[in-house]
Amino acid sequence: MMKDAFGGIVLSTSFRWLVPFSIVYGVIILCLGEYSPGGGFQAGALLSVGVLLSRIILGWDTTFDVKGTTSVWLAGAGTFLYAFTGWLTLLGGADYFLDYNFFPIHIEPMHEMHAWSIFLIEIGVATCVMMTIINLLEAIVKRSEENVGSN
Amino acid sequence: MQIYFVEAVLLVFLILITCAVIFCKDILSAVVIYSSFSFTAVLLYLMMGSPDVAFTECVIGAISTIFFVAVLRKIDRWCD
Repeated sequence: MMKDAFGGIVLSTSFRWLVPFSIVYGVIILCLGEYSPGGGFQAGALLSVGVLLSRIILGWDTTFDVKGTTSVWLAGAGTFLYAFTGWLTLLGGADYFLDYNFFPIHIEPMHEMHAWSIFLIEIGVATCVMMTIINLLEAIVKRSEENVGSN
Repeated sequence: MQIYFVEAVLLVFLILITCAVIFCKDILSAVVIYSSFSFTAVLLYLMMGSPDVAFTECVIGAISTIFFVAVLRKIDRWCD
């Protein structure tokens, strides 16, 4: 028998089925991004959908409790990972930003090295998008709470 | 030829949904109708052969619906 822990059977079942599948699908899109539709942006958006749904269903502070400052910091870290991969290729002797042929860590064959550097970039983009969306919703909710409190 | 017909029907749906969102009085139902706009746009993008854009539209449509509903819940204006 299903425990009635949070807000009825509809919310409970939708949480149990939607959130794990959306997060796993986001990870699949992130890992297969270099030769399938989708990429870092879509993976980050899917991961953030999982987080947002669980926070809306289970309550604001119970799950995935990423604070506003932490999410801004992590979004910056994701952008830095993206830029750092491009700088690594420039340091390896490339003529332009993100020329994967000059990635300094040599992995054979060449297309596998391309795949690994694209994977690094996608991790950065996914982190940035996910944390930005979480931070947007947090900002909306927090600001309206302050307005309600002041009134 | 039939594919153009289906695309035309979807485009007419887009226009009708937009008019419904504009002229709808209730804010929450406007948000729900707007999510159906996103769904129709997903179908159109799929028929035009770009699953990538369709996937992005699908996810962003869900996220924007969550945003709108969260704002409505916080400002406590469900009707009119």
